[in-house]
Order: sequence, then C-alpha cells, then structure tokens
Amino acid sequence: MSTQTPEKGARSALREMPSNVWNSIFRNPLPSTDLERASTSFTNFFLHIHPVKVHKNTLRPIYTLGLGLISLFLFFILVATGILLMFYYVPSTTQAYDRMLDLRGTVAFGIFLRNMHRWSAHGMVAMVFLHMCRVFLTGAYKKPREFNWVLGVILLLVTLFLSFTGYLLPWDQLAFWAITVGSSIAGYAPLIGQQMKFVLLGDTTVGQEALLRFYVLHVAVLPAVLVLLIAIHFWRIRKDGGLSRPEQPKGETIVATMVLEPGKKRVYGFQGFIRGPFTKVGNVPDDSVYAWPNLLLAELFVFVLTVSLILLVSLAFNAPLEEPVNVMHPPNPAKAPWYFLGLQEMVSYSAFWGGIGIPGLMVALLLIVPYIDRGTKGVGRWFAKERLLANTLFLTLVVLNVIFIIIGTFFRGPNWTFVSPF
Amino acid sequence: MRLALALASFVVLIVHGVVFYDQFFHRWERHQTAYFEQARSLTKNEQDKAELEARSPRIEQTIVTSFGDTRVDRCTTCHIASDDPRFAGHARPLKSHPYSAAMGDVQRNGQWERRHKFADFGCTVCHDGQGRGLETKFSHGEDEFWPEPLAGYVTQATWRKDFAPKLKGKEYMEAACAQCHTAENFAGTPNVNRGRKLFYAMNCYGCHKIDGISEGTLGPDLTEAGKKFKIDYLWESVVEPRANSAASFMPKFNLPEADVRSLVIFLKSRRGVNFAETSLDRYKAHIENVAVVIPPGTAGEKAGEQLIVDRACTACHKLRDHDGGIAPDLSYEGLIRDNTWLMDHFKNPRSRVPDSIMPTFRFPADDFERITAYLATLKTPPPAMPPAETYKALCERCHGEKGDGEGKVAWYLDPSPRDLTKAAFMNSKPRERFVASIQEGVAGTSMPSWKNALKTEQVNAVLGYVLTAFTKEPARDLKPRNLPDTNPVAMSPASVKHGEEMFLDRCTGCHGRKADGKGPNSLDINPKPRNLRNTAFVASVNDRRLFDSVLYGVQGTAMPSWIDYGLSKNDVGDIVNFIRSINQKKGSQQNAGL
Repeated sequence: MSTQTPEKGARSALREMPSNVWNSIFRNPLPSTDLERASTSFTNFFLHIHPVKVHKNTLRPIYTLGLGLISLFLFFILVATGILLMFYYVPSTTQAYDRMLDLRGTVAFGIFLRNMHRWSAHGMVAMVFLHMCRVFLTGAYKKPREFNWVLGVILLLVTLFLSFTGYLLPWDQLAFWAITVGSSIAGYAPLIGQQMKFVLLGDTTVGQEALLRFYVLHVAVLPAVLVLLIAIHFWRIRKDGGLSRPEQPKGETIVATMVLEPGKKRVYGFQGFIRGPFTKVGNVPDDSVYAWPNLLLAELFVFVLTVSLILLVSLAFNAPLEEPVNVMHPPNPAKAPWYFLGLQEMVSYSAFWGGIGIPGLMVALLLIVPYIDRGTKGVGRWFAKERLLANTLFLTLVVLNVIFIIIGTFFRGPNWTFVSPF
Repeated sequence: MRLALALASFVVLIVHGVVFYDQFFHRWERHQTAYFEQARSLTKNEQDKAELEARSPRIEQTIVTSFGDTRVDRCTTCHIASDDPRFAGHARPLKSHPYSAAMGDVQRNGQWERRHKFADFGCTVCHDGQGRGLETKFSHGEDEFWPEPLAGYVTQATWRKDFAPKLKGKEYMEAACAQCHTAENFAGTPNVNRGRKLFYAMNCYGCHKIDGISEGTLGPDLTEAGKKFKIDYLWESVVEPRANSAASFMPKFNLPEADVRSLVIFLKSRRGVNFAETSLDRYKAHIENVAVVIPPGTAGEKAGEQLIVDRACTACHKLRDHDGGIAPDLSYEGLIRDNTWLMDHFKNPRSRVPDSIMPTFRFPADDFERITAYLATLKTPPPAMPPAETYKALCERCHGEKGDGEGKVAWYLDPSPRDLTKAAFMNSKPRERFVASIQEGVAGTSMPSWKNALKTEQVNAVLGYVLTAFTKEPARDLKPRNLPDTNPVAMSPASVKHGEEMFLDRCTGCHGRKADGKGPNSLDINPKPRNLRNTAFVASVNDRRLFDSVLYGVQGTAMPSWIDYGLSKNDVGDIVNFIRSINQKKGSQQNAGL
C-alpha cells in the first residue's frame, strides 16, 4: 500500500501511471504479511468469495479430490464454449444439422469448440455425481450442511437436465432418438407423465417445437438456474463453516466480537456472529492457513489440470455426429444418453418402476438423507467406521446404478438383447 | 505441486499450438496454391497472370437453390480446376471435370460448353457426397454416418467387404440423374430403366409399394428407399433378404449380379419427391391406384396365359419349365383346384390357406377370371410312370428329395409339409388316412387333392414308395383306441367356457393364447404346433380325430398324450367345443364378409 503523498506534476503522474492504475485495480500489492494476505482476499471482488483463512483439511487433495471445483471449472468451460457455439447455431430442424457440418468443416476452431463443449458436458455430469459420492462418503452432509446437500442434489438434477437438453441440439440420429427415448421415459410418470412430456416437447413427438424448447432451456433457463443455485451453494459453504472436517476437541461457539489486529489503522468489526464449531476468529490457535496463496494455488492447479485434460480429450476425440434425423428409420437399439442408460436398462424390465418409481425414490432418498441420518459421528473422514451402514447402502445403490449404465451402454444390442462387446 | 502445475500448463500450451496449426493450415490451401501456380505457368495472358497472382486461397462454394432443399457445395475448394479445361490431364483433385456429349455438353468453336453448369447444379446434386465438408473423409462421405457417399466412388468402411467392390462404378450415379430425368426410357439411365422393369418382372411390386408404381402391402414401402438406405443396405436386402430381419419371408431371388445392380440403382433413385415433380404430383402418385395394363385384343384363357407371364407369377410359382422356387407348382392346377377355390384364393389367399404368404394382388376381377380360366385348362394328368418318378414330379417340391419335408419351397409353406421320414408318426396312423390326404388333400394347407391327377393305384403305389423309401420302419398293428365318433359333450356356452379355461391352462405354451399355433414354445418345435384357427382345416377333421390327437397325442410330434396328464373325455369334449367355437365365429364372419 503506497500511502506517500505523490509528487506533483504531469510528468511524474505519467511516470507513476502504470503503478497507479495497477494499485487502483487491485488495491493491494502482492501480499507479504498475514495482514496483507487477509486484506487481499477481502478487498478483491473475485477473491472475496474465499474465506481469509481455510482449514488445512480443506486443502488436502485426498479429502476433496477437487471434484466440486472440477465441476465448476467444467461449467466455466461450458459457458465459454457454449456462448461461442451460440454464434453459429440455429435451433431449426432444417438448419441445425447443416450448422453442425459447418462447425465441423468450415468454421475456424468450430470442431474444437464442439468437442470441448461435448466432452466437458459429459465430464460435468460425471464429476458432479462423483462430487456427490465424495460428500456422502465423508459424511459431509451432516448438520449444519443439510440444506447445502439438498442444494447439491438439485444441482445434480439441473446438470443432468442441462446435458439432456443439449443432447438434442445437433439434430442428428443420435440426438433425436436419445431424446425420443429419454422423453418417453418421462411419459411413464403416473397421472402427469404424458402432460409433462407434452409440455417438454411441445408436441407428441420430438420435432421443431421440442428443438426450440430444448434450446431455450439449454442456453437461457437452465444456466440461469444453475448459476443461481451454484451461488447459493458456495455462499452456504462459507456460512456453514467451510468444508467439513474431522471433529476437533470440543470448541465453544465463539461470539465474534473480537477486533482483529488491534492497534492498526483499520478496524474489522463483525456485523453478526458466526455459528458452529468450525470457524475460528481472531488469533485463536488452529490448523488454518491463509487462502492466499494456499487455496488459490490449489484452485489454479485444479483449473489448469481440468482445462488441459479437456483440451487433450478434445484433440483426440471428435464429438459424435451421426446421420441427419430420419424419423422413419430408428437405429436399433435407440439409446438414451449414457447417464440415462441405467434408467433405460431398468425401463426394459418395468416401464414405471425403472423409469419413474426407482429413480424417483432414489432422488427422494437423497434429498431427505441428511434429515434421516442425524448421527454426528464420522464426519470429515472417508469411509468412517461409524458410518458403515449408511456408506454401504449408498455405495450399493451407486454400484447398482453404474452396473446398469454399463450393461445399457456396452451389453445391449438390437432389440435390447444381451450382446457381448468382446 | 508447482512442477505439476507447470507441466499441466505446458500441456495446455502444446494443445493450443496443435489446434492452431490444425485450424490455420488446411490441405485445401495447398491444392489451391498449386492450382494458382500451374495456372500461371499455363497462361500467356499477362492480365490473367496478374489476376492469378492476386488470388489467395479461400473457401469456394456454390449455393444450389434449384434442386430441392438449398445445398451448399464447397467441393470446388479442393477441386478448384473442375471447370478449367486446361487441367484435363492432371491428377485429382486438380483435374477438370470431363466433358461428354452424352451428358449434353456441346462444342462451340472448339470450346466445350457444359449442359449441366456447375454454377447451377453444384456437385452433390449428381455425385452425392457432403457439400459442406472440407476434409476428404467428410466431404466424400467416407464417414460411416453420412447417408450419401460419393455415388460409385466411395464405399464406407462399415460396408460388407463382399459387397463393397460391387458398389463402385459410375452407373450408381444414374440414381441421381433419375431425380430430374424421370422418363421411363431415358437413355442416360439404362440401369434405372432396367431396374424398374425388373421390379415388375420379378414381381417385387406384388409385395412392395412405391408411390405411383406399385401397391404392394406385404413388404416395406420403398417409396423413399433411396433416401433412407445406403446402397450397401439395398444390395444386401436384395441378395440376402434375411440378413437384416430374420423373420423376413422375402424370397431369395438368386439374381445375376447385373440385375441386382440395376435394382439397387433403381431403388436408390426412389427418394420420395424428386426434382422433376411438385409436391402435388407426389400426392397424386400417392393416392392413385396404379393402373393395370391389360394387353389389348386378348381374351379369356389366352389373356390369362399372357397375364401369368406379365404378372410374373412364375417368380414364385412353377409352371412348366419356369420355376420361381418359392410357391407351389401350377402345372396341374386344373386337376387339383376348382374355379371357386382359385377365385377365392386370388381375392384373398388367406381365405383358403390361412397362413399363406401369397400377396393379395389388387388386379381387376376380370384379370383373376382370365387367369383362373387359363389355370382351369391345365388338365393334362402326369404320364404314367414308376412311383419314384411320380413322387419326384409331384411331391418332392414340398416334401423334399429325402422325404423329410424340406423341399425347396417348404420354408415358405405354413403349415410345413409333413416329414415322411418320421416313422413314429407315419406308423401311428392308419393307411387310409394317408390315402385320404393324398386323394382329398388337406384343407387349409398347400396340400391339394390329387384324386383327379392320380388313379387310386397310382396313389397306393406312391404311398408304398414313401413308406418303404422314407419311413422305412415296417408298419405295426395299431392298438384300437377308445374314441367317440362324435363329441359326446353337447356344444354349450358353459362347455366352451370350461374348454377355454382348460385350453388356456394346458395348451397355450405351444398353441399360443390365440390358438394360432404360435405359442412361446412353438419356436423350438418341429413340426410346428397346429394353427387351431385354420378354419378350413379344423372344419375338415372330425371329432374322432380331434379326440385321438388330444387324448393319445400325435406320435412323432411334440403333442403329448393328454390322457396321461389327467384329462378326462369330458374335458377334451369341452376343449373340442372351444376349438370348434372359435372357428365357427371366424367362419361366419368371413362368410359374411365374402
């Protein structure tokens, strides 16, 4: 912080302009003391989302695996590539496929944009799901994070729906029949199934209306919902006391009326009090470190890793583009997107139970699990012994789902008969 | 961690480099640069030279609006010399498109002028392929997902290896020519014309519908076959009808390769609305019944004979030396069927043989009468010959060379011809039953009555030959069975209801819930369970035989002896009443309909 009175004169103003501009933007120089580190986080809009200090456990890669962050960064990639793709896309049954051909053949970086968008979308579905598994298996949904878990489950559903709506847009055979299958599954819901399907498709079959609806949902409605929910999700992380971690020797609730760094010019008065045993305020000895640079570096690492992986995958594999839609000639078998293939596999046994009953129950179970499982033991550790029953139940469901997806993806041939991929 | 960060950042950098290289250095730019250079060296005109000097590579495209949906053809981005006659001798892609008088190109003052100008037609209207792509793999349609690879030039990697070489050749482009040149005798499309003739001649039209050409309903509608299917699929479907659908009963025609090719090209040219017609024309073609061309000046039997040729009946049936190898022999039709049977059968083959695959042809009634009149004249009985010869001439086509019921047309017949080698069956029935089957035929099946063609001695001789040559085991004396001659249980709603319950309980596994012989077990059973809704057959057998079959089983088949499973005579009486009742209803409805 340069606090000296600047020299007068146009020349010196010119000379100091770069550093003045820099300082006016960032307000702090690169920090070297703890106070400056705290101040950096506090005063920067983008960094303000971080706490000043984070618990060491938060930074253990093996604890979080960075899954939530990876999901977020994949979402950033999706927004960036998605906006660029929007410049070339027309949600019309007569033009959409041609636009795909143009993206692949003529538009500079077109195919690469599409690859990145496609693979990031698949990646995001997988990462959000794994993130949920991580949170469950470390018992992180327990008090006071129950509602954030609920938000997370809703975020998973929105992510799935986003991916599903995007699946239709290329308007090729893969898209058309996957959405036909997917929306038929929705149609099995009792009472409202057919109406729901009609509202979603705007027609009895997948056509122009469905394409337009899916487009609007995909580029406007759902991203807005997702951004809002992500914001609340992050806000709640802070308010619920940061990431979960193993319990520590009983700490009392500290009403934060203390003043940080007394004697200095600035005085930080807290407007309220922070609940819970998780947040330490002031110079209480604890295991926390400054977010700058520890947390930021970790985040940067996850970001670069995510981007480089997506880039490599996009370089190696092209996003699929099958035949133009032919309503009269369904592929055999017509398969839903991979993340719904578990459903489709179950639907092949029972339309209602596979498509609506079981998945509905699973989602309901996920939503209320923090309100059922009220034990406070075993939070913040992977596969805690105290949580053996809950973890086993959860893993069983996950493994079952994965097995169904694998069967649906690799072991199902024409007429949904069992085939061996080997 | 910092090292890992550095490595990951390096990966990002490298990938960016590769992507930028990939996106900014195109193969087509090299082709264009080469073209500019060579064109400069070829031209003497300074002004042209300067113009070429000023040109830099860019994506070339033709937007084609006159032929169906708007097309964007970027082919000339690589094939930039396609309209430059100086490049006639160059290698592709810098080769100019050949000129051809047959294509309507004309020479004026030593300069060729194209009839099909690229500026109007683009490239894909004639050649297929994908006009928007700039990479060979995509633009030539080598990508397995592109429905229309360059006709005659490109075969896709997923196509069957044994067909792929046959699917090359310029003639495949005729399918595209026919989108405008629709005249049936257009000289430029000999294969399309020939394929259309074959479509009639091989009687494809009997089963398949093509708007404006045919009205068949048994097989898939081929009106848009060329739009829906690639040529490899069409070829496979013609050559091996059961390759894609194991249940297909389309005959295997064994056509010569040239015929298959013509048919495939003709089918590829069927793309719904073509460029030469309006949507209104298409609608008219869709709703119009196809007019049947009756040869003028012919009447009666003569016309019938002519019609059998024109309608290609022998694509399936046998008549003298023509043999389609699918359906029964017509050579003795006048002896084995009467006119009423023939007319009923023409109007609806399934009214006489309920499981027949013969299409219901929508010929005018006059035509059927003429054909019937002609068939009725086929009254020359086979000459007297040894029984083995008689079997060969009359029976072998269905019952097979070895008498095992696997004759050449057996696959198409339902119920299947009797396996005469099954001694268990052959020796469980009295000789009179077989004599009756031969003399009177078996109603509701393809077994005709031979009594007008064969004298009683001949029948006995053939039966003797069958029993010694195929059945082999000598006949044993049959134990008398305790069977009622007529059903002792009176027909009543209660009896039918009980019979139905018994049937659903005991019989549906093989005979099916509909009693049509298609129960879940029927797939693995040979001979197939009887279709008990075959009214003609059920009406032709008496109660005694039904009781015999149910109570004591049918030896040599999967039908067990139900006496062993605790069915009483009254139970069987109820079942028989049930079977009779479902056929009565059906019969009366059918009669009302006729």
